[in-house]
Amino acid sequence: MTQVEKETTLYLGPQHPGITGNMMIELKVTGDTVQRAKTHVGYLHRGFEKLMEERLWMQCFPIVCRICVPEPDPNEENLARAIEEIEGREVPERAQYIRVMVLELSRIASYFLWMGGQAGSMGLYTMPQWTVGDRDYILDLFEELTGGRVYHMYIWAGGVRRDLPDGFAGRVRRVLDYLEERLTDYDRLFFQNALFLKRSQGVGVIDKDKAMEWGVVGPPLRGCGIAHDVRKDEPYEVYDKLDFEIITHEGGDIYARAMVRRREIEQSISIIRQVLDKMPGGPVHNPGPNPLKWKLPAGEAYVRTESARGEFGYYVVSDGSLKPRRIHVRGPAYVHGVSLLEKMLVGANIADVSVIMNSLGTCPPEIER
Amino acid sequence: MNHEEHIINTIHTTFKSAEAEIQRKGRLLIRLRSDLLPAFVSYLKNYLDFNHLVMISCVDWMEDNQFELVYHLYSYAQKVHAMVKVRLNRSQPQAQTILPFWDQAGTYEREIHEMYGVYFEGHPDLSEFILEDWDDIPPMRRDFKTREFVNENYEWRKGREDAQDVRRTISERYDEKLPQFNNDDKANG
Repeated sequence: MTQVEKETTLYLGPQHPGITGNMMIELKVTGDTVQRAKTHVGYLHRGFEKLMEERLWMQCFPIVCRICVPEPDPNEENLARAIEEIEGREVPERAQYIRVMVLELSRIASYFLWMGGQAGSMGLYTMPQWTVGDRDYILDLFEELTGGRVYHMYIWAGGVRRDLPDGFAGRVRRVLDYLEERLTDYDRLFFQNALFLKRSQGVGVIDKDKAMEWGVVGPPLRGCGIAHDVRKDEPYEVYDKLDFEIITHEGGDIYARAMVRRREIEQSISIIRQVLDKMPGGPVHNPGPNPLKWKLPAGEAYVRTESARGEFGYYVVSDGSLKPRRIHVRGPAYVHGVSLLEKMLVGANIADVSVIMNSLGTCPPEIER
Repeated sequence: MNHEEHIINTIHTTFKSAEAEIQRKGRLLIRLRSDLLPAFVSYLKNYLDFNHLVMISCVDWMEDNQFELVYHLYSYAQKVHAMVKVRLNRSQPQAQTILPFWDQAGTYEREIHEMYGVYFEGHPDLSEFILEDWDDIPPMRRDFKTREFVNENYEWRKGREDAQDVRRTISERYDEKLPQFNNDDKANG
């Protein structure tokens, strides 16, 4: 039987359950094989970078966390660290430990959301129910610590806003114990599931030799067997005092990326336990000047964080006035969701498009900021 | 000699006009003439192992009538981040594309073309990326007035016609002085 070689245009999104957020992929298909793909964005543009040029430095913090919905904390931490670098302000050690704890908790929460999305894109609809439910235990912790479940506005220049509530460490440990135990259920339901193995092994392969040049970062890069992690390459906060290894997996396919994330959940749990053990006492904030008259010296800084999707970077330029000259955000999805995705979808099956997209952890809000 | 100094020395053997300085450990600042840029970044990529294009930023220095393009390159092997800066004339901004060296550069250049109006010579597709049917000046330029644009193009939600300021109501009730916030020019003084 020969397939009719007629090229059809198929628009996937912006409203589609398989798309992670509001973006659209224009697919040219023959039969059910993708010939060309083009990413279209613009459904979510809020102009945050422009907005921040007309805001005081302090007013930028509630804006930046909205740049990535599933994982807002790397944004706050990056902006705070960039400002501290330009200003030369010291951060108390306890605040640095608390920041690491918040970042790792948000990494776990983000991976749980990803697990639901990845399984949902393959039609395993029990997983999203479970993972979103379990993620809520972490959001409960955030609510207690910061007052907000999704957007925290907790990390700011000079430290964090307030100290841990009484007995908080114990509650964190209890949630971690629960999540760790729960991972065996997820293994049985998802990571060892025959359907998952069949849909993920050998699908959506990233060429190992090209990965770095194509700008692949985070779990997709480590899924190619390349050991790079910002937490190790350029340790920030107190990551150099904590004991952990870079997790890699050979293969470069969807399965490898999933296994990297799966093992990083366990690693994050171990990092948070270390943080709780080692956390010193002392102040949590090194106060700066009156926020309404807060001028930064002229200067610039580029800082990066390892987020759940890869390298998150902020380029901050100050011209010495009350407001930023330029804040440019580098989200990993800017590369993963546009140029990389367009390349990876060529030759893929239509049913695999959203599986591949989910495995890269594409997040449209950080493409258009 | 550490990595950063070694890189600067190597650069100076080939590109004598490049001004390089070490900002801090792992950060290099390099200023360059804009026409040398494609040759320079390909040199960094091929000879000094800067194979990760982190991003391309554009900063509007309206007072100097210049745009500054900042190419962020990272070397995984040496753990050094280089910020290569070129200045462009703001009235006729034009640069050369670095698409042959990194595919993902195309997206950044498309956005900078759309948001600042910088033309990239040799780029095959500088079509609109985020905006749609935009006919004003490029919106990320500093002379684009966001407030005016909003007032001309949008209207207040029903019930907000008086543009009531809640802070004023509260301050009048408790007889307090209203704090002077930010967005007017008084705060700049």
